Amino acid sequence: FHGEGYQEGYEDGSSLGRIEGRQHGALRGAKIGSEIGCYQGFAFAWKHLLHSDASERDSRKMRVLESLMGMIEKFPYDDPAYDRLHEDLDRIRGKFRQLCSLLNVQPDFKMSAEGSGLSF
Amino acid sequence: MSWVQAASSTPSAADEEDVFDEEADESLLVQREWRNHMQRRIKEGYRDGLDAGKAVTLQQGFNQGYKEGAEVIINYGQLRGTLSALLSWCHLHDNSSTLISEINSLLDAVGQCEEYVLKHLKSITSQPHVVDLLDSIEDMDLCHVVPDKKKIDETKDERLCENNAEFNKNCGKSPSGKDCSYLERCTTQEHSHSENPNLAWILEQTASLVKQLGISTDVLQHLKQL
Repeated sequence: FHGEGYQEGYEDGSSLGRIEGRQHGALRGAKIGSEIGCYQGFAFAWKHLLHSDASERDSRKMRVLESLMGMIEKFPYDDPAYDRLHEDLDRIRGKFRQLCSLLNVQPDFKMSAEGSGLSF
Repeated sequence: MSWVQAASSTPSAADEEDVFDEEADESLLVQREWRNHMQRRIKEGYRDGLDAGKAVTLQQGFNQGYKEGAEVIINYGQLRGTLSALLSWCHLHDNSSTLISEINSLLDAVGQCEEYVLKHLKSITSQPHVVDLLDSIEDMDLCHVVPDKKKIDETKDERLCENNAEFNKNCGKSPSGKDCSYLERCTTQEHSHSENPNLAWILEQTASLVKQLGISTDVLQHLKQL
């Protein structure tokens, strides 16, 4: 009888686990995706803004920006199994802050303006 | 209270019948005990099975959800980052405060959309229900035409959306269109089941803003895929 109940429980548990896991996963993934997307959009836009200014094309800003974009591009933001996720994310955050200070932009000011309720 | 009667009547009936029949009484007891035991075993089995089943699929579900969540939100993040870049650029170049506040409104709109998406990710397995949608409108305190009645059928809800869309259209055209918050447009578009709720609209606004700033719209090139 234990086995009888077990089988039924196993099936219910399987679908329950899938649902629960999916919900948790979606929120975690969305947090990372939102943050990475934001850096990406920020970097892309600033690249164009800097590019229109001839004096900035080879500047240190541009180099840091390119390096940030390279890091983001390599970052597998949608892979939960990536074992260096936090390490890489911290490096990206650091690079982003460096870029902000070079651009003379307050990263905090930007974050507070987001108001999306996502804490990075 | 029928169970009280049942409980009190069963033993007495058994007493009368089985009062001299000790063997019968015992087998009944054994039978009952055995049934209880069986049920307990089934319950235990169910609980064990539930835990085991959950343990197996939890990680799978997490991985699947993670990918979905990341993919669905990335565009919103990119748009938010782009707007943030424009905002910082405006601040550095001392641009007019109207444009700055316009960017801020668009940023708010993106934030609201993201929140909406997150809310839906939490209830990812259940199809959005009419009542839920109405609730979320009410939560955001946006809808001026939500009827009090809770039992609203689908057709009525669609009509509601149409009303709202009409309302927003009028808003956009009227001279006081500025008073109409971006958010209201957001919700309407979400309710018309567009694939990327209101992103298109925000993107449009962003593009016209970029033109006003005198920047080439190439700055939005990376958002074209939205």
